[in-house]
Amino acid sequence: MEHASFIIASYVLTFGSIAAYAAWVVRRGRGLARRASREEMPWT
Amino acid sequence: MLIVAVALVAGGVVVTKFLTSAIDYYCNVDEVGVRRGCDGDRRIRVQGIVRRDSLEKQDGSTVFTLEWNTKTLEVSYLGDPGGVFQECIPVVAHGRLVGEGFDSDRIEVKHTNEYVEKNETRFDQANNEAAACSVSQE
Amino acid sequence: MTPTGAHATTGTPATRRLGLVVCVLLVLLVLSGLWWSAEDVVQGSTVRIMYVHVPSIWVAYMAFALTAVCSGAYLSRGTRSVAWDRVAGASAEIGVLFVAVSLVTGSLWGRLTWGTYWVWDARLTSTAFLFITYVGYLAVRRLGGTLRQRARRSAVLALLAVLEIPLVHFSVELWRSLHQEASVANPNAKVEMDGLMLFTLMLGLATFTALFVWLVLHRQRVILLEDTVADRGLDEAIASRRDEAGAR
Repeated sequence: MEHASFIIASYVLTFGSIAAYAAWVVRRGRGLARRASREEMPWT
Repeated sequence: MLIVAVALVAGGVVVTKFLTSAIDYYCNVDEVGVRRGCDGDRRIRVQGIVRRDSLEKQDGSTVFTLEWNTKTLEVSYLGDPGGVFQECIPVVAHGRLVGEGFDSDRIEVKHTNEYVEKNETRFDQANNEAAACSVSQE
Repeated sequence: MTPTGAHATTGTPATRRLGLVVCVLLVLLVLSGLWWSAEDVVQGSTVRIMYVHVPSIWVAYMAFALTAVCSGAYLSRGTRSVAWDRVAGASAEIGVLFVAVSLVTGSLWGRLTWGTYWVWDARLTSTAFLFITYVGYLAVRRLGGTLRQRARRSAVLALLAVLEIPLVHFSVELWRSLHQEASVANPNAKVEMDGLMLFTLMLGLATFTALFVWLVLHRQRVILLEDTVADRGLDEAIASRRDEAGAR
């Protein structure tokens, strides 16, 4: 594949940054959920 | 508060760039010396299609003819333009008019919005070549 | 107050199923984008960047539109619930991430096709302005005050900011731009793309949309928890000050 470094860098940056954000959201959610009651989390 | 201030300053810079550069990013070949803002005595950006069979490499320079609505302009660029630069493709050349020609120090390739799959058969290759040179000049 | 277990999360069985669908779609997108789809006759392999670049800006538009809809719902008389504001905030934050992805991947694609990472043309400049506007929106959300104050001021800003989207999308039609015109969502309603390329682009759009929904569901729950914990902290601080005053 021609220009493989640029193409793969695009995919890695895209999915890497989204995965990092998703991981941050999930971890922050877990941390805060421990300090909340079931009544404060209507989805449980 | 600091982020709001930074966003305001950055927004101001971008709006300035929009007003000074982004509106009418280029002049077409047939407008050089005719349209306001496309005068020959200052640095301009010219758009046209690289004419078929006009591309030549001379002593490290790339020389080609830009064409738009039957008007042409001889362009000279020191080096290899890069990108997907080739014949029959629209490009924007930055530089100055020197005599009858255009001395460019930056070439940007303006590829079209058509995406055609590369095929292996000779018939499709011929079609692809024809498609690559049939750029609309509107 | 019923305590939660150590394994409390913002997930539900539905979001976990959606997450699984997103993972499968992501694998299919990578396979189709990098291997199955053909090269372009002019651009060669570099066209593969389009399958992440275009869906990311489409999803960003969708995210900012959702922010505006939720903001409008919050400001309308009948539906003045802070829940709308939380979805608006979550959606805008994810939209900013997707615009950033689109700017970076577009820059890499531009280097290979145009021969430059960046130009100040109409499309790139207006997209940069859109990005800065929504970074400003997120900053305004953090200015402090009550939840209702936050919701009101950010809703007004969101309704103004969303007007930039048609400007960005049609900038290539309104002004002369180095950026190519739209191949799918264009005013001529003519799709300028061959079969498997179009399929991969649509697969990218479906994948990024599912990913966006998953992220919004989680992020708006995290914002609810942030608000709850902050409120409780404020209540505890007030109670503590009252106790101190009573003891004197």
